[in-house]
Amino acid sequence: MKALVIFLIVLLCVLHHDWWWWDDNTMVFGFMPIGLAWHGGISLAAGFVWFLAVKFCWPKDLEEGEGAES
Amino acid sequence: MTTTIIILCYIGILLSVTLFSTRLMNKKSKGDYFLASRGIGPFMLLMSIFGTTMTAFALIGSTGKTFHHGIGVYGLMASWSGIIHSVCFFLLGAKVWKLGKEHGYLTQISYFRDRYKSELVALMLFPLMVAFVMIYILMGVVGAGRFIQNITPETFAMEESVTTVPMPALPEGVTIPEALSDRLSHDTQAGVLAWKGSMHPKRKGAFIRMYPKLKEGASEEEKATYGVGKKDWMESVNKLVATTPRGSIPYAAGMGFICLVVLVYVFFGGMRATAWANTFQTVVFMIMGVVAFWVIKEKLGGVVKASETLLSNEPAVQKKAMAAGHEWHPKTTREGNIGHLQFLTYCFIPLSVGMFPHLFQHWLTAKKASSFKLSIVAHPICILITWIPCVLLGMWASGELPHDTKANAVLGMMVGKHSNEILAGLIGAGVLAAIMSSMDSQFLCLGSIFSNDIVGHYSKKLGNKPMDERKSIALGRMFVTIIVAVAFLIGFLNPQSVFDMGVWCFTGFASLFPIAIAAIYWKRSNRQGVIAALFTVMALWGGMLPKVLAPNKTGEFLISGMMPVTIIIISSTAVLVVVTLMTPPPSEDIVKKFFPASQKQG
Repeated sequence: MKALVIFLIVLLCVLHHDWWWWDDNTMVFGFMPIGLAWHGGISLAAGFVWFLAVKFCWPKDLEEGEGAES
Repeated sequence: MTTTIIILCYIGILLSVTLFSTRLMNKKSKGDYFLASRGIGPFMLLMSIFGTTMTAFALIGSTGKTFHHGIGVYGLMASWSGIIHSVCFFLLGAKVWKLGKEHGYLTQISYFRDRYKSELVALMLFPLMVAFVMIYILMGVVGAGRFIQNITPETFAMEESVTTVPMPALPEGVTIPEALSDRLSHDTQAGVLAWKGSMHPKRKGAFIRMYPKLKEGASEEEKATYGVGKKDWMESVNKLVATTPRGSIPYAAGMGFICLVVLVYVFFGGMRATAWANTFQTVVFMIMGVVAFWVIKEKLGGVVKASETLLSNEPAVQKKAMAAGHEWHPKTTREGNIGHLQFLTYCFIPLSVGMFPHLFQHWLTAKKASSFKLSIVAHPICILITWIPCVLLGMWASGELPHDTKANAVLGMMVGKHSNEILAGLIGAGVLAAIMSSMDSQFLCLGSIFSNDIVGHYSKKLGNKPMDERKSIALGRMFVTIIVAVAFLIGFLNPQSVFDMGVWCFTGFASLFPIAIAAIYWKRSNRQGVIAALFTVMALWGGMLPKVLAPNKTGEFLISGMMPVTIIIISSTAVLVVVTLMTPPPSEDIVKKFFPASQKQG
């Protein structure tokens, strides 16, 4: 799972550089330029990837100290 | 006046919230004052971290920058931040929290001093951090002063003031409306148009409406003569609007007032009040951004209509801008607005959060390591909610406002044009919330660095008794007051250079990111490598500063199309690695203390 999450984060960084929409002003839903809609999607996808990261790749050593008094 | 009242009410509510939070303080210790007794839960941690990383730029700057550079601004700043900020919280935040809890660190510098067992590392970081944070504070202070000044015209009536412009006679058909007759007059004998008291620039619309419209079914003769005196009328009106005092809250008073409000709640409530204030203010500025978007899009006829109008207006705006000798590209794409390399290398800028000392301190306040999970997941979504409406507003504004409108004025002008004073007041409160939610953490962090890492540490080192906690907190407060006073003076005397410096301070923080990663993940990392990397950052950052502040530069300072942070971060990483490998490894004690797991395995 750790490898998949790392792959997805790298993929997000690659997909971030969307030269294919660079000069395209097609409006998604009639109001949002496709370049902006794509990057809005990147933000949502980032939220999902980070959800996977904290769910499956949360470092075990951090969990160890959870119950201890500060 | 309504706007000013709404803002004052907002400040009143904010102070009440922070006052309430101080009642929750169980003991007046350093741990509670600086770290809220490490008891902040997931939601407050998310709001504190998000509020601290988002400044006024999230509302005003995003709209203005989109107006000039198009929708690519979201990709440059927001979606990169959604990915990179969470990387920093995941890789650094939770680990730092654990180390802080185990070893009792209150500040970033105390951690680095202990990790590298080096006074020099701490003494180099201290001025660097104070300078970077002070520039950051300066941005907030100047931004608040300017913003308050802009949104509070006619707060003071200034009835004794009379402004006149030459006008021998009123143009034919122009009559002074009854509603303005007590303030506007024309003196035929003196040949002047006179305005009594202060004036909101919005009143220009009332002057324009005074000029009679061409009647329906007008004769050819009337058509030919229509508008003959209009140019002279508009020139006089423009002059009158430009020269009449605004009656706003003065710039210096706005700066001073916001500093005072933040100082009050930080001083009385420490980190606990700061966390509560940040939570409250982050909710306020996120909601206000959405409210502004909603009201304006309704006035524009809905989102689809607004975008259609923009697309149909773009050719005319481009023609007008090019006729004035300016390059202009449609704001619905990135072509011509942002370079490919610039877009790519902007990814280094959000790394700055990894070294923000005020954010470091927020990380230490978490109740549990798992409290970070919500911040890591929800941060990109919070950015989306705040930025998308502002970027769309900036894009629509590019088809409505003159192409040379100043970036920082775009949101205010759209609000002024499409809403009323009540909404202007609410949005004003939202912008001030965004400014204050960063400033409070910075004030607190500077105080804690000074009292713990300088006064407390060196007083103990010189053999004195450990300093009384109250005295230590008081010294921190005194230092913050001095820094804020210096920031106020710089902002008052030379506000122009502040924003260029602001962007450059992010470059500085980001350039130190490799040091943070090395300290936590590279057990071979030693003080020699870190000191060499710090010198590299100081030399490159300081060396490029004159180019950043060059008065005649146009656009962002780039090196071969790349963000300069790329060069600095690569250099500091290379120096850190090479010098570390060329010098002896850190002692066994250090490795044992900071990398216990590897010791067990080994």
